[in-house]
Amino acid sequence: MSTVQRIYESTFIINASLDDAQVDAVIGRVQDLIVKNGGTINALNKWGRKRLSYSINKKTNGFYVNLEFTAPGTLLSVLDRSFQLDEMILRFLTIQLDRKALAARAKAQAEAAAAPPEPQPAVPAREPLFKESAGEAKS
Amino acid sequence: MITTRKPRREKDSQMPRKKRTCRFCDAKEIYIDYKDEKRLSRFVTEQGKIIPKRITGTCAKHQRQLVKAIKRARHLAMLPFVSDAIR
Repeated sequence: MSTVQRIYESTFIINASLDDAQVDAVIGRVQDLIVKNGGTINALNKWGRKRLSYSINKKTNGFYVNLEFTAPGTLLSVLDRSFQLDEMILRFLTIQLDRKALAARAKAQAEAAAAPPEPQPAVPAREPLFKESAGEAKS
Repeated sequence: MITTRKPRREKDSQMPRKKRTCRFCDAKEIYIDYKDEKRLSRFVTEQGKIIPKRITGTCAKHQRQLVKAIKRARHLAMLPFVSDAIR
């Protein structure tokens, strides 16, 4: 039984004509499959509906989802098989994040953490230009 | 008949033309992501063909990574295999 956990990234395209609840159901099924087989989900990015560069199954739009997870190697064949059988998933690509990809990702995260967004400069409290004083006679 | 070669200009031997450097090496990039379609599309012609490295100036190592990324993006329909160039 392989216990080596590797980090994988899977990008798949869901049929765009489904409504949001059905899309979430498909994503949920994929996540459950991963977790059930001993994996953990690291990140889930939904890119939303995008136009495809060429038609797949006569469709021009697709809902892109990017999923990063840690799992043993035995999960991959099961996962790809389930992608293949799922009618709602048009295309899928699962890659293992190798050392270079992970290093680049760590570097990007370090850069993002090191340079947090600068807070808005505090507007200095200004004295009102026209002091309202009751009783000031208009000239 | 004696054929004479044109004398090589001195300028070329004294000042060699500057070699175009690989932009990925300059930026010290170690991984080219297939998800970056905006950046990948710069290395692809209007017809969708991959531009050779002698034109872009990319080094061999990064060209291999680039090609792999472009082919993955094509599989995921982020880049076309063939696109009709505007004539």
